[in-house]
Amino acid sequence: MAQTEKYVLNMGPQHPSTHGVLQVQVELDGEKIVGAKPVMGYLHRGIEKLMESRTYAQCVPYTDRLDYVSAMNNNLGFCMAVEKLAAIEVPERAEYIRVICAELNRIASHHVFIGSLTNDLGSATGMIYAFRDREKILDLFNIICGARMTAHYIRIGGVAADAQEEFLRGAQEFIDYVPAMLDEYDRIFTGNEIFQARMQGTSIITRETALKHGMSGPNIRASGVDYDIRKIDKYGAYGKFDFEIPVGKQGDNWDRYIVRLKEIQQSANIIQQALDNMPEGPVMAKVPKVLRPPKGDAYHRVENTRGELGFYIVSDGSTKPYRVHIRRPSFVNLQALDGMCQGMLLADAVTAFATIDPLMGEVDC
Amino acid sequence: MGTYFEKENLDLLKAQFDTAEYDPEQAEPAIYIGKNQLLDMMKVLRENPTYSFDRMANLTAVDYKEYFEMVYSLYSRRFDKWVTVKVKLEHDNPEVESMTQIWEGTNFEERETYDLMGITFLHHPDLRRILMPDNYEAHPLRKDFVPLEPRIEGGVLTWHKQKSMS
Repeated sequence: MAQTEKYVLNMGPQHPSTHGVLQVQVELDGEKIVGAKPVMGYLHRGIEKLMESRTYAQCVPYTDRLDYVSAMNNNLGFCMAVEKLAAIEVPERAEYIRVICAELNRIASHHVFIGSLTNDLGSATGMIYAFRDREKILDLFNIICGARMTAHYIRIGGVAADAQEEFLRGAQEFIDYVPAMLDEYDRIFTGNEIFQARMQGTSIITRETALKHGMSGPNIRASGVDYDIRKIDKYGAYGKFDFEIPVGKQGDNWDRYIVRLKEIQQSANIIQQALDNMPEGPVMAKVPKVLRPPKGDAYHRVENTRGELGFYIVSDGSTKPYRVHIRRPSFVNLQALDGMCQGMLLADAVTAFATIDPLMGEVDC
Repeated sequence: MGTYFEKENLDLLKAQFDTAEYDPEQAEPAIYIGKNQLLDMMKVLRENPTYSFDRMANLTAVDYKEYFEMVYSLYSRRFDKWVTVKVKLEHDNPEVESMTQIWEGTNFEERETYDLMGITFLHHPDLRRILMPDNYEAHPLRKDFVPLEPRIEGGVLTWHKQKSMS
């Protein structure tokens, strides 16, 4: 009789499939996973602490470095929380530009998801396709604010500068390209038999588990929970646009991929509506040069590409925040990793890491 | 953003729990509760079908130097409602019941608060540091925090209190 013994295998922090510096202690019984414990903190920079010694305007660039593949969404979350605290009204044109930028960034972030997922599944070619298209969006960001990833474009009270003709034209060109792009993805990835076999029915997160762990974003929607902050809170200009929330059925790896693919289409719809109805006017509210929000606290949440991103800010009436807490969606989502991996083969753990889509800049903060 | 919990309901809670308090002057007042009644009140907020706060949207702590304050933002998906619950904890040896007993998904966030703010959560299933090194002996988000000095001792990274500047 052969005897088997459980053993622990460290994946990461230096492992290509962990998307940064996530370490996972995988407990194995042969090739089967018994448990997977995420170990974090390798990218902890203490952003919450740093913000306590910066003025409100100086805090905004730090939010770029949280989820560095969707910087615009983080800027938006922080700025809206400060605007709520200081009761600042944002001009309508700025709200529209914000929505366009945030949705473009959501598409770019999903490109990273698709690219790294296909790369993890052994198709390096797939990654090149997704990153080629992401480049188009990063070039647009380069036009509008001079930075590709760490945008710092959305500011407290509006946006840094008005969107140029060139940017709006470029955004329209990109939207026109989206159907052809999605069609190409369908032919390359979605229809691929190996891709389907690796993804369908693996690493299932049930609806109950997703709710229990407080998950959010595409991950909870893939499990069949219709939960999207853009739709529920209708923050900014989101209440004015008509869009659907794609929802999955059983919460397997496949659903998490399909939900994100459909979200690209919905984001494109939102951008199209925003471009068509863009109002004229100023893009910056009257914000005092030295901003001193009144004493008090505020919590504001937005739908980041990875889920519910919340900022809790306490003001003591001075120019600097007394305390900032960031509720990071990928940090909370990672709690589901253990359950997702149990009973799977080690090779499938890589797929699970990719589809839960953690971004270590955000997890470690 | 949905609506805030009505004042009539806050009054009902106040009648039920003698340590519950809120400021009726504010538009969106937080409920303050004594730490011994926190768990019971949270259970009511979650399980009572007329409240049904099923999501712990945010959980954090603030260091006000004389005391710590735990801040819980609850959200009800069913009624699209918000409520903020706050608990004051004494500055030396802050302890509070873990919310993992009601919302399992607060596990990592409580570990983070324990790690960075040094608040002990009672009955937490796995209370360990999550972001800082395991052998780090300070809590960085406290207002009196002084960074520790890293040193390599016998091939191991250790952390030491800085010598005073005098």
